[in-house]
Amino acid sequence: MTPNALDMLRAMARIRAFETALSERKDHGFQLLSSGEEAVAVGLASALTERDQLLTGGRSIGPAIARGVDPRAVMAELLGKTAGVNGGRAGRGHLSDPASGFFGAHAVVGGNISIAAGVALAKQMDGDGGIVAILFGDGACGAGALHETLNIAAKWKLPLLFVCNNNQWSVSTSREDALAPARLSDLGKTFGLPSRTIDGLDVEAVAAALGEAAQSVRRGEGPAFVECISIRLRSHSTTARETRKRDELAELRTRCPIRRQIARLGLDDDAVEALERDAADFAAAALAFAEASPYPSAAEVLTDVG
Amino acid sequence: MIYQLLVPAAVPGVEEIRVLEWHGEPGTAFAPGDLIVELETHKAVVEARAGQAGILRDIKAAPGDWCQIGTPLALFSDSADEAMPDGAVVSRDLVIEFDVI
Amino acid sequence: MLDSAVVATKKMFFREAIAKAVREEMALNDRIMVMGQDVGSFGGSYREFDGLFGEFGAERVRDMPVAENASIGIGAGAAAAGYRPLVTITYMDFLMLGFDPLINYAAKLRYKTAGGLTAPLVVKTTAGAQGQGVAHSQCIEAWLMSVPGLTVVAPSTPADAYGLMKTALRADGPVVYIDHKRLFPAPGEVPVLESLVPFGLAAVRRAGTDVTITAHSFMVRMALEAAETLESEGISCEVIDLRSLAPLDMPAIAQSVARTGALVTLEEGQLTSGVGAEVAARLFETTGHRRWARVGALPAPVSSNPVLEAACVPDARRVAEAVHKLLAR
Repeated sequence: MTPNALDMLRAMARIRAFETALSERKDHGFQLLSSGEEAVAVGLASALTERDQLLTGGRSIGPAIARGVDPRAVMAELLGKTAGVNGGRAGRGHLSDPASGFFGAHAVVGGNISIAAGVALAKQMDGDGGIVAILFGDGACGAGALHETLNIAAKWKLPLLFVCNNNQWSVSTSREDALAPARLSDLGKTFGLPSRTIDGLDVEAVAAALGEAAQSVRRGEGPAFVECISIRLRSHSTTARETRKRDELAELRTRCPIRRQIARLGLDDDAVEALERDAADFAAAALAFAEASPYPSAAEVLTDVG
Repeated sequence: MIYQLLVPAAVPGVEEIRVLEWHGEPGTAFAPGDLIVELETHKAVVEARAGQAGILRDIKAAPGDWCQIGTPLALFSDSADEAMPDGAVVSRDLVIEFDVI
Repeated sequence: MLDSAVVATKKMFFREAIAKAVREEMALNDRIMVMGQDVGSFGGSYREFDGLFGEFGAERVRDMPVAENASIGIGAGAAAAGYRPLVTITYMDFLMLGFDPLINYAAKLRYKTAGGLTAPLVVKTTAGAQGQGVAHSQCIEAWLMSVPGLTVVAPSTPADAYGLMKTALRADGPVVYIDHKRLFPAPGEVPVLESLVPFGLAAVRRAGTDVTITAHSFMVRMALEAAETLESEGISCEVIDLRSLAPLDMPAIAQSVARTGALVTLEEGQLTSGVGAEVAARLFETTGHRRWARVGALPAPVSSNPVLEAACVPDARRVAEAVHKLLAR
């Protein structure tokens, strides 16, 4: 067992329980959950240090929690409460907490990639040794913003780690139907980046690959590109209908990264129960905190506009 | 014969130029093709070259001076000892060629 | 409010006024950097950054590939992370390629982080018709005026180009700074010593009593030309240079129209949901309706064809006609 393999399993279980609690709460808003993608978030977080920053697309909940943003403040943010990490006004699509190394989400697909390059440029000019990771989905691989940014990041040798969480679906359009490259990591290769495609359901493999990639970025060798192939166990969002067939989903559930890690670690029933209890407590505490926080007053609508 | 060198309308939209550098002084003889003066517009440098032979006699705008299009920059004559006119005398325009760079 | 000429000035090209502002601010604040196509050793499409590459080096004056979206995005990200980038977009038409990072990210950053982060980013771009065709001529500043969190300025003189650029480079949030192709050829007096033009302050360029004409950027010159013609016919025009479109200096406009009783709004862009429509609507909300005419581009793209271009965008003659018609009502 690698030293933090159990920690990573616990982190994945917590994200799953957190998102489940959120989705089961009445009036939970418009949320993009990450069931099936926890290994990418947790493996990525393990590759980053305190000096680094993480930016994501709109599927931000798992990555933010994995990165160490206070889960209570995340839940409050998701529910629009004033105790939210951004006072409840950013929501899932835009939550940010740079102090925790989570520079922020930006819910326009592909939109945060050039922003992340700008943060990486600032880090390069500051020379503080930190790197920036940008997490985006396969959907963003069709967007021009990625290609423009890959080019500039490569030319400038920015300390930027491109992490594609390929969950294989853009709402209802499959990655095969949408994108031409054989592997999405080929996009990085085109610009001369060290690029790999890995199994995004294996948290230890993700941690190892991203750890290695982060190190090369940290050494000043320029950006790197890692495609993590994962699965989306739920529909695109909590308001989108599921377009896949029941048996297809059942098959996907057998590949759940959490189940896989439990099996790999050979946890017995008691250990699994303890794992689930820890995760449930984690989610319940966050939810209780969020429920206790008030909504902002309508008068706040005009604060901090410009 | 006395000739006047006028600010050429070298660049569309330009109403005024700034004198950058003279390539001669009173008494300098110019042959066709010789660079006389460089003028600065908002975007480019205009090189005014002699389109005829002539002797530079009098410079009316120093480097850094602003001049409207069509205003006189200098006087030239055919020979060095030709008497210069007093006051406003109608003179011919010096033939020039210019390059915008 | 006529500009008083007590400060020492030096005549310079519009581009030199911009370079002076950027140079001074870069010397004062090492977080300021310039990023754009052809801004390096070339010095900018209009030489408005002449010399800066040599003075401040390739790290702070960066040539960008043709990638407007990423250029603004990288600028916005670096701004959020503590720098003050000035990103140049050669023509305003190309600004559309960078609307996501500008509008969805930079303009909203302060709000969505509840004041935690801001994007002190200046996007400088050049508007206006000058023979370059349907996608190199547009004035879309009115689109930007409706974006909460975005400041929009459009100087008409080298002095304001200087003063507004300095203010923009010190601002907390994103600023779109719009100059104009036809303003570059004309020199003007610029303060020798440091001087800033605050946002939200219009300037009365010409005092008058019969009608107020509001304009910005190159159209201020058309308004002044029309005012000159109309004066010979006994019509006295007050010309207000808006300078800042977001925020707008509504008190200055209201004071002027209170005296003249008539308003002509002039812009080079489209009239529909335009700058003039906004100026008039905001004014009339407080004063009630006043006599008003608006002058702007005809509802057509701006062709590179000289006849069609001239037919589309306003000139002094059309302004004078609008004043005549309005005062005859």
